[in-house]
Amino acid sequence: MAARKKQAKVCMECHRFVDGESCVICGTSNLSDDWAGYLIIIDPEQSDIARKMNISLPGRYALKVR
Amino acid sequence: MTEYIHKIFAVKTTAKQERTVADNILRVCEGLADVHVLAIIAPDELRGYVLVETPDNLARMEQLVEHVPHARTVLHGETTLHEVEHFLVPKPAVSGIEEGTIIELISGPFKGEKAIVKRVDLGKEEITVELYESMVPIPITVRGDSVRVIERSDESN
Repeated sequence: MAARKKQAKVCMECHRFVDGESCVICGTSNLSDDWAGYLIIIDPEQSDIARKMNISLPGRYALKVR
Repeated sequence: MTEYIHKIFAVKTTAKQERTVADNILRVCEGLADVHVLAIIAPDELRGYVLVETPDNLARMEQLVEHVPHARTVLHGETTLHEVEHFLVPKPAVSGIEEGTIIELISGPFKGEKAIVKRVDLGKEEITVELYESMVPIPITVRGDSVRVIERSDESN
């Protein structure tokens, strides 16, 4: 399970998990599968964590992308 | 200093299932109308736990955990973002390593070999080392997270 998730690609600009070949939010194809730390934002308007991380959209994010 | 209003609970998980639990909490929350979860953190540094941000109380979290596969219990203490915000900004893998540090390689073809650090690249999080027992000094560049520090250089004292 963990091995499958490690292959998931993350946008290097916004740190968001991406399904296809490019990020739907920033439009960049600058993706990486070398990431660490996992963050899920459900309610970005109320969440202190989302405010701290400057995240305005719900979704799955990586904390660190190389 | 920013005031954080919501509570953060630590949910104990089965070993190595932290990300699965985070995904499962997300899925379960969509089905439970009276449990409100705002965000979930699963830092790599924190093995066996995920952190859940919520405006709800402990009883609600215990109710949530019952529905989440691989989640075991909720720790009874609650905290705020002040105490866990350092997880949001991970330290570079090469922090604490500087020139002259003696390290052991923990992965790759030179696994188990001891080496001395010759150069540290903070941007790429890579270090260049020379193997300790090698006859000729051959520089090898490895990732910062594939080494373990054995002895720090004296200059840092």
